[in-house]
Formats: sequence, structure tokens, C-alpha cells
Amino acid sequence: MITTPYFRLRSSVRTLNRVCFALVVAAALSLLWADLAVYPVDPWHELARIGRGVILPAWDEPRVLAESLGQTVAFALLAVVLAVPLGLLLAMLFHWRAVRYFCAAIRSVHELFWGLIFMQLYGLSATTGLLAILVPFTGVFAKVFAEIFEQQAHAPGQTLSPSLGTLKRYAYTLIPQSWSALLSYIRYRFECALRSSAILGFIGLPTLGFHLETAFKQGQYSEAGALLWAFVLLIATIRFWMKPVLLPFYIGLAIWLLPETVGFSNGGYLWQFVSVDIWPEPLRDAQWGAALQWYTTMFTDQVWPGLIQTLLLTQIALVLTAVVVLATYPFATRVLGGPLVRWPGRFLLLILRSTPEMVLAFVFLLLFGPSGLPAVLALALHNGGLIAFLVANASDAEAGGRVSRPDDPKGLLRYAYIETPRRFPAMLAFLFYRWEVILRESAIMGILGITTLGFYIDSAFEEIRYDRAFLLIAVTAILNILVDATSRRLRLMAHADTARR
Amino acid sequence: MSDQQVLFQLSAHSLELGGHTVLDAVSLSIRAGEKVALLGPSGAGKTTLLNQLYQQCPEQIALQPQGGGLVDLLSVYQNVFIGALDRVGTCAALWNLVRPLRTHRDAITKLTETLGLETKLWHSLDRLSGGQRQRVAIGRALYRQQPVFLGDEPVSSVDPLQAQMLLDYLLQQHETAVVSLHNRRLALEHFDRIIVMRDGRICCDRAATELDSEALDAFYQESSSPESEQPAPSETGWAITAS
Amino acid sequence: MSFLSRAMAVVMLALPTFALADTFVFTAIPDADESRLQQRFGKVADYLSEQLNVDVQYIPVKSYAAAITAFRNDQVQLAWFGGLSGVQARRLVPDSEALAQGYEDQFFKSYFIAHESAGMEAGESLSDALKGKTFTFGSKGSTSGRLMPEFYLREQFGAAPEEIFSRVGFSGDHSRTIAQVQSGAYQIGAVNFAVWEKELEEGKIDTNKVKVIWTTPTYPDYQWTIRGDVDARFGAGFKEKVRQVLLNMNDPDLLASFPRKSFVPASNDDYGPIESTAKAIGLLD
Repeated sequence: MITTPYFRLRSSVRTLNRVCFALVVAAALSLLWADLAVYPVDPWHELARIGRGVILPAWDEPRVLAESLGQTVAFALLAVVLAVPLGLLLAMLFHWRAVRYFCAAIRSVHELFWGLIFMQLYGLSATTGLLAILVPFTGVFAKVFAEIFEQQAHAPGQTLSPSLGTLKRYAYTLIPQSWSALLSYIRYRFECALRSSAILGFIGLPTLGFHLETAFKQGQYSEAGALLWAFVLLIATIRFWMKPVLLPFYIGLAIWLLPETVGFSNGGYLWQFVSVDIWPEPLRDAQWGAALQWYTTMFTDQVWPGLIQTLLLTQIALVLTAVVVLATYPFATRVLGGPLVRWPGRFLLLILRSTPEMVLAFVFLLLFGPSGLPAVLALALHNGGLIAFLVANASDAEAGGRVSRPDDPKGLLRYAYIETPRRFPAMLAFLFYRWEVILRESAIMGILGITTLGFYIDSAFEEIRYDRAFLLIAVTAILNILVDATSRRLRLMAHADTARR
Repeated sequence: MSDQQVLFQLSAHSLELGGHTVLDAVSLSIRAGEKVALLGPSGAGKTTLLNQLYQQCPEQIALQPQGGGLVDLLSVYQNVFIGALDRVGTCAALWNLVRPLRTHRDAITKLTETLGLETKLWHSLDRLSGGQRQRVAIGRALYRQQPVFLGDEPVSSVDPLQAQMLLDYLLQQHETAVVSLHNRRLALEHFDRIIVMRDGRICCDRAATELDSEALDAFYQESSSPESEQPAPSETGWAITAS
Repeated sequence: MSFLSRAMAVVMLALPTFALADTFVFTAIPDADESRLQQRFGKVADYLSEQLNVDVQYIPVKSYAAAITAFRNDQVQLAWFGGLSGVQARRLVPDSEALAQGYEDQFFKSYFIAHESAGMEAGESLSDALKGKTFTFGSKGSTSGRLMPEFYLREQFGAAPEEIFSRVGFSGDHSRTIAQVQSGAYQIGAVNFAVWEKELEEGKIDTNKVKVIWTTPTYPDYQWTIRGDVDARFGAGFKEKVRQVLLNMNDPDLLASFPRKSFVPASNDDYGPIESTAKAIGLLD
């Protein structure tokens, strides 16, 4: 159908600007209340040690390193291999409201928290690790697959009999139509799964994070450096070793590499967990007054203050992420960076997105002292590096294509007049997707003494108070779902979708 | 003919899309057995009208939308096979993606011979030319094996001789057909009823025998307007600007 | 575990993995140096296995909470807990019992340490100069890094830590606490005395930058705790046997993993004060 692009463009730019303006104003308002104090510190001794460790990595047990690398990949690979078909099935049913809510609920809980929950049920085991990645990833796959399907042309579907079953319809039209989009998204999520798998080491699974956390905690920075480099290398080389032909072989290898479960036998614990542990005692005893009292106290002491802190941090981190993206992506593109700058630029983005936020947050804590500032910086750099990488890739994919002209301006002018306007809608879309993620991640910054929701959730697990943990996780999940819905609305309003609509 | 059942019925039907009137008080009735050609300049509402008709009894219709509704990643065989999906069980349909089903393989091989595509049977669609793609789309419509054919410019990209032959074949295989065309001669030679549209309205609806080329040309000239063709912005490469 | 049973773990995610009923499993998180746990405690497992005549395995965990969880759902039957985590674990598993504690754990203590910028001097008691400073505990579930320091802060000031200090963080670990206070990221910190002494000895601490300003009274800390149902599973008298084997552990190489001089008998009652302290500050109901 013929549209009038000029009119559309003008109106969509106006909405786009309005949405961006609203976000910046919200972040500026958050600055007024957010706790971003800078404390005088004396970090150079410790920072020098960290620097030495990163420059001179050392690891004297290659076997342990290889094993944990292997297990990091094994968890990620198996979880993705299982989550993709499940996500696909749910995406086909995404027109059911119940399915949409279910997916929103399972993806709104951070992998670490899923890990902590499944650990109550399955102990420290391969099952726990797999489920911790598998469950939220299934929710994410379902949502994104459904969105990809929505963007496909309707014509092929129209040539089918209207009474055709869903499975056949998808197998012959929507899935092959969107095949390359699905594959590239799965590839991207596999990288995310590797990060999640590494991070799960923080709670005890035998992946890279296990050793990284220990090395960092004990101040053994050259070991931490070696682990970080190993992880960066793993991420950087994915496209060289992750060949579809080798997938069956890798799956077999991954199953063989899974850690064995030691001594876990109590399977009857599930019922106890869902029926007793996660409910406050007064509620279980049907003392309604006391139960109300319990919830009120929780709300005023933890839920409300945690909610405010989380939202303030998220809002600032979101806008700062956009700044990081705009500042870094040109260095990693073919047309703006050029051959000399592009590889260092890509390397910088690789480092930013491969370094866990916790590590970044710790370095900034040493630099600026304890406040929201290290958290905001860590979140913005990590997520900014990730989005800038995706934006730069999109630019490279277009370089030399139909839309480029030999008389295009160069350098800064090209950045301002050609590349940034072209990338902006997609960048905004990525940013909105990451909003949810930033929200989830801002919850894990307890070391900074910032009482986000995640701080209280972590405390509840430490104190073995699953009733509190459950309530707080539920609140976080609801908040996530709200943010998700808001970001979807804003995305539609700003026409930020990369596809036509 | 008048004793045949009425398949499509529109009375003073109007439709607005995005503030534009695309169908303006269209009244129309088409009976089973009729072969109707739909003419008119671009933007006259032919595609919209076909879509309205499709919605009236989708389960009896083999539809060939503009562009064919093809799936690029799949082979010619699979794209034609899609027409038979409602005749095959789910498991068999899924298995067919891995290994073509024998009976369908034979039937579709035969069909592609008629279409002149026998050497391309296992090529994926993105490797084909525009004319070849259109023949695949025709193949799918034929393989739907429905009594009614609705085609939106079904032969616009194939060469004139082939267009004649394919159109003949399509009309022979379907009891009823409503086909939009831009070639007036094809309309006059192959169809028994011609409807001309302009600005969302039906401005002529007569038996083909009552019309000739010149009479049809008149409808086009009256309405030809400069803004009707608009180049897609992404197609204006630098070569055009430079010339 | 064979390839097959690993594959089963993948296929039947919803089902619990298979039990290795005849293996006696323990876990331990030492208060200092958590690196190479598997190698160091593998040796302890070998010693226990040899002495007890059962298959013994060690699994490493990352936090007290994970240790308690594993103990509760019977993934481990024996654990080297901190004072507080032992109390929490024994409340969750009926009939479980403290068997032995480290020699040093009979009179454990915590240090309050300060960065030089805080301008604090060592004193007999916690002074009002602490007010408004930034402060970090160790791990949230630690006895020496959290529970006892918080108890004495509340006793001295009659207020919660968040009201005394301008900011309260949880470094997650004693070594981190020292590093963060030494770098000035936090001005004050509370730390396990044994870790401080060890790092001082190893030359990791610059006493011009960070020093001890107060020492808590002594309290009981780390102990071995065993599940009550081990006798039923591994034979009558098994619990006593484990206690004896732990008390007889005198190989310095094994003891260095904890690190403790030796183990001495302990009972649940020894930890009564810890339990009441935890209740007093709201960590236990």
C-alpha cells in the first residue's frame, strides 16, 4: 500500500522527540532524589593491583579453567537448546492473554533469583543451573519470537485455507518467513546465556563466575584477570566455533560436561516449599490480622523504599546508557570508525559487555565511594556497550548497500546527519528492551549499600526468610511487567520498531 | 447462468483506510461459474475489492495475492505444497519439511512441468526471477484445488505468450474466477465479464462481448492522474540522482 | 555419574536427580581464603572417608545461605557453619547437632577497623565519633562480620546501624571489608579478627591507612553441625564416630584449610547466646 512517507516521518520524529524528552526529564527529576554522593577515597593502591592483575593475568591450574569454561558453555547451550522450542510453542499461543502474562512473569525474575529459588528445590545441581537460565529465557524467546512473527508479511498466510491448524500454518509460512531473524536473535541470546551462565557461578554453580567471584573477593586480581580474559575470548570467538553443523556434537559434549549432582536425594521438598516456606506464618495459621500486619510492615520497611530506589536508579541508568551508546557506537562502525579505529572500538564494546556489572560496580565503588553512582555507571557502561555493539552491527550491515552514496558527508557530519538518524529508532527499541533488564540488574547492587529491591531479596535469602523473598520477588516481577508494558507503548508511540508497521 | 448460486454479494459497500475512501458505495454480485476480469488504474481499489471478496467465503478460495505470498526460504516444491496443507495431517506436513511426501512430490513435479519450472523444483525462492516466482504462486493457487480463484495481477511478470497460456489454464481449472489485470487485451479475450474501477468506484460492469479495447482505454484516460505512481523512497539510488 | 544419568537430568528437568544414598557429603566455607576449595577440602574428605569407612564427598558452596539450604534438603549431612548459620540450620533441621568447634571459636571476636581519613583512635568502647561515617559489614549472614558487630552497635547507641551511619554496605566477605576500608571506599568496617590477623601477617594491610579501633567481647563462632538422621542412614553410633574423627584431626595441613589450630567438643547450648543475639536484632523470629 502506498503511504505518504514525508508526512509519516515528520510526525514520527515529533513523537520520538517527545518520548525522549520525557525520559530525560524523568531522569533529571530522579537525580534530585537519587543518592549519588561522591566520597573522598584513596583507591590507587587497590586499583593498581587490579590493573596489574588485568595486564598480567595468571592461572596456574589450566584444568580447572578449562573445566569451568566448558561448564559455562554447557549450561548456556543446553538451556538455549531447550528454551528455543518452548519459546517457539508459547510464541504461537501468544494471542492468549494467559500465555502473555505467564511469559511476562517468568522473564521478569532475574536468573540469579531463579537460581536461588531452584536451589531450594534441586540443591546445587545441574538441574538448578539449567532451569535458572531456561525458565526466564523461555519467556524472553516467546515474547521476541511473537514480535518477529507479527512483523512478517500477511500475504503468505492468506493463501492458506483459513481453517488450517496453527502448527502447520507456522511451520510453512511464519517460521520460514522469519527464519533469518529468528536465527540471528537466537545467536544473540546464546551470547546472553553465556553471560547468565557465568554469573550463576556467583551463587555456587561451577561456572566461570564461581572462580571469578572468589578471586575477586580474595583480591587475587591476576586470577580474576585471567578469568575475565578467558570469558572475553570465549564471547569474541563465538562465531568461529559455534557452527550449526557441530551443534549435535556440542550438545553431546555439553551433557557429558554437566557437573554431577552430589548427594541430593530429597525430592519431596517441592511441596513444602510452595505450600509452607514462601508464605508468612500468620497467613498459614489463618490469623488475618497478624498477616495484614506482616504485609504492612514489609511494605513500609522494604517494598516501598526498595521500589523507589530501584526506579530512581533505573531511570538515570537508562538515560546514561543512551549517552554511552551515542558516544561509543561510531567507533565500532565501518563508515565512521574506519579500519584503524573500528577494531579497537569493537574491542572496547566487547570488554564492556563481557565484564559483569558486579565487577564494574566494584571498581567504581573504589573510585567514588559507596552510593548510587557506581551502580548507575556500571549499569550504563555494561548495557551501553551491549546496545552500541548491536547498533554498530546494524550500521555495518547497511554499509555499502543501496542507501549509501559516494557524496555522503564524512566524519562528524555523517554521524550527525546520516548514521545517528538512521540508527536512532532501532537504538531506542533496543534501549526499551534493555529497560526491563536494567531494572532487574539494578536489583543486585547490595554491595554498594543501596537498598534496592534486590538488596532486600538477597537479604531475605541470606536470612532464610523465603516468605519475604517471595513477596519481594513478586513485587519486582510486577514492576517489571509494568515497565515492559510501558516500554512497549512508548516503542509503538515512537515508531521505534525496526520493522514496518 | 442465472440459476447458479450467488458467491459474492456487495451492496453499496464503502471502506475507509487512514482517512482515504478506498471503496465508495460498491455494489456487486458474482455467481458461481462466472469469470470476471477486474480492470482500472493503480490505486483504483482493485486489491481492496479482492480482499473484501476473499473475506466472504475464504474456505472455498484459492487466493493469489500481489507478490504471491511466497516464502523465500522454502523451495519451489514446498511453496507449491503449501496449497495442500489442509489436505495433510499435521505430522505428515511437518515430516514433509524434512522429506517430501511421495504422492505430493509426484503431483507437484507434474504441475511444475506445466508451469515450466521443472528444473527449479528444489531451488529456494530467493534464487528465482520475478516471472518464475509468479509461476510458483500460480502453482500454489492451482494446488489449493478450490472451486474459486481470486488473483491480484496473477500474470503481470511473465512473458505475454506464457501469460495467455497460464491464464487459460487457471480459468479452466477453476469454476469461478475474479482476476485483476492491467492488460486489457487479456481481459477481453479470456473473460466473460469485465468490471472497471476508478477512485474506489465501479464505473463499468458489462459482459466482455459488449466492450472493446478503445472503450476500455477511455476509462483509463479519464482518470489518469500524475500522483498515482510514487517511487518507493529506498529505490532512488544515487544513480538516478546523478543522471 | 554416567553420561546417561546426566542426560536424564536434562531430559527430566522436573524430576529430582538420583540419590547417591551411600555417600556422606559435607560442605565448608572457611572464613578466609576461599580459593581452591575443592582441592583443599578434597583432602579433608579423603581423611574422613578413610577414618569413617564410608564414601565421603565435599561440595563447595558460595554462601552461608547456600550451605544452610544444602543442609536442610539433605544434600549435605555435615557442615562447617559460622555461629549464626549453624543456629539457623539447626532450627530448620530437627535433631541436628553441633559436634565440634575450632579451638579459636571458643573465644572468637570481631574488630572494628577505620580508614585514617575517619580520624579515629583505638578506644575502650565505641565512640560517638562513629556517627555519620560510612560503614560496611561483611556478608549479611556472617556472625563475626554482621551479627555480633551489629549487636554491639545497637547496644552502644540504642539505634539501628542505618541510623548511626550515613551509609551501611555489605561487602560480602571479610577480605573485601579490609580492602574497601583500606581504600577509603568505606570509612569504618567490621571484620573477623582471624582474617585480619592473617592478612596482617601476610603483609596485605597498610597500617598507616587502616587500623583496629575497637574489639568486641568474645563469643562462640564456627562449628561442625551434623544432621540428626545420620545414625539411621549410616549405622548406629555414626554421629559419635564423626565427632571423634573431627576431634582427632591433627594434621596441620588439613587444619590449615579452616584455618584452625584444632577442634574441641561443642554442643547446641554453646550457641544459645548467638541465637538470642540474632533474635534481639531481628535476624531470627
